[in-house]
Amino acid sequence: MLTPLTFIGDEQALLQALRAGHPGAAAAFYDQHAAHVTRTLRSALGADEEIPDLLQEVFIRAIDGIGKLREIDRIGGWLTSIAIFVARARIRLRARRSWLRTFSPEQVDPAHQEQPSSEARAALREVYAVLGQLPIDERMAFALRYIEGMTLPDAAEACETSLATLKRRLSRAEKQFLEAASQRPVLEHWLEEGTRWNVQKRS
Amino acid sequence: MERPEAKLAEFGTAVREALATESSSAEEIRLARAGFLDHFAARSGTRGGWASLASARRWRILLLAGAAAAGAVLLWTWTARPVTFQVGTSGALVQTGDLVNGAPQGLVPLRFSEGSSVILHEDARLRVLATDTKGARLLIEDGTVDASIASARIGKKHWSFEAGPFQVLVTGTRFTLSYQAKDQSFGLATHEGQVVVSGACLSAPTPVAAGNRLDLTCLARRTPAPQTASLMALPVPAREGSASPPAVGKPARSAQTWRELLAAGRLQEAVHAAERSDFDRVCQTASAKDLLALADAARLFTRVSKAVTALRVLRQRFPASAEASTAAFALGRIAYEQKRAYPEAVDWFATYLREQPSGPLHGDGVGRLMEARLRAGDQSGAHFDAEQYLRRFPEGPYASEARGILAK
Repeated sequence: MLTPLTFIGDEQALLQALRAGHPGAAAAFYDQHAAHVTRTLRSALGADEEIPDLLQEVFIRAIDGIGKLREIDRIGGWLTSIAIFVARARIRLRARRSWLRTFSPEQVDPAHQEQPSSEARAALREVYAVLGQLPIDERMAFALRYIEGMTLPDAAEACETSLATLKRRLSRAEKQFLEAASQRPVLEHWLEEGTRWNVQKRS
Repeated sequence: MERPEAKLAEFGTAVREALATESSSAEEIRLARAGFLDHFAARSGTRGGWASLASARRWRILLLAGAAAAGAVLLWTWTARPVTFQVGTSGALVQTGDLVNGAPQGLVPLRFSEGSSVILHEDARLRVLATDTKGARLLIEDGTVDASIASARIGKKHWSFEAGPFQVLVTGTRFTLSYQAKDQSFGLATHEGQVVVSGACLSAPTPVAAGNRLDLTCLARRTPAPQTASLMALPVPAREGSASPPAVGKPARSAQTWRELLAAGRLQEAVHAAERSDFDRVCQTASAKDLLALADAARLFTRVSKAVTALRVLRQRFPASAEASTAAFALGRIAYEQKRAYPEAVDWFATYLREQPSGPLHGDGVGRLMEARLRAGDQSGAHFDAEQYLRRFPEGPYASEARGILAK
């Protein structure tokens, strides 16, 4: 129902307008980066009904910290690191509340989703069940590198750690993931045959 | 053991694609957007916003605990506070300048802290341009609204409504105002009290008392409303794009420059003032940012040719600036939305994208270019744009249309 005044200007002007509280700038900022942040949250957490809440939290944190951002060119990476921070906090919260599961497709309103193949759904459930067994640092390294498809330096920046540390985490994550996946027929099959399920889906 | 990076990379890509299929990003993004913008509005502490109202209440409690003299201070503080407002039954936060639309499912209320209300009909679009301690200034861009201005301290209130070339000065009353932007037709029926209507095509301010109705248009010679026109203004025929200012106005107002009016958010008056000052000359002396703002104001008030002039001059005078690229984008929008000149829109959107390959309007630019090419009959071009768009914005606002183009 409400449409804030359109913000017009370059990235630097956008940053200044955000600091000044321009509502159109907030909308422009959100519209430019929401898809990217959503993808990062999904990579870290899987399909999750809390993604909208977390997405909102990421942007609220971003606005609260916008005064500290100096290099406008780094805004994408900066938002990714906030998204990872928020995702980690949510995983830790869930770990404390063991009655919550990391991946809970049954809680997602089916009316809001396209219907995937049952194989895809089952595979995703297995993927995030395995990732849920990994230590949180290893999990994030794996999710950013392989699921989000980030470069190693970008993933290190998002995790706010050094490249060497990220590589160590990733190495451990790969080993643990493959070991755990080998115990799950759906994943083992998937890993062995590559993207067999996508090929099937397109045919 | 060799690290199976290639296998995991392929596996990760498949997971990513499955996630994209599994959930609707657009829905998630839409759900979070409203909450974020509400939070932002509250955090920004809008002048006259509800956050400041809460602060006022805290002050009131403290002062009531004090002396009677402090109560007087409170009263003064309260009356000196700008009117605040909220939209809808849920009380959504709005800032001055935001566009408020009517809703297909029913009437949308806009409630003001001093008791006045404006109800938007389905077709209505309005903006609260400014508020002060005594009232507010509203712009009716299109459609019908029912206004009820609280009667307390009528004589001290400053309420006004603008609709195209018309201005309605309200002194405490109930009335229904309709304005159709497409033909600049204006209708006002007063139910209680009295309002005064002025406009570029009215020779003098015209009072409209309770029980009376006034129907006008500046584009036609006369558009009477026969059944109730007991008080009928005789509009002076006006040329389209006439530079005439409103018939009423304080003397000081006419002395204000278009730049001052623009800065004050009085967009229509700013356009009038620029026209009075020789629009072409104004365009040759204004800054790039001022030209963009002036063009936007002109476009809003159907001075499309003036908007185009300002934008073209901007591109000539500031050829390498970001504003010049934004002007190209704005020219594309005008060509597409108002002139229906799709090949021209294609040229302008392509110009923007060429000049600002990573600009803030990039996504919107590719999406609009795709739409313009489609309507211009360039199917292969639209197909190419759709691929480009989905590659970079798979969940963007034009994604469904892009997929539709690729599916054909």
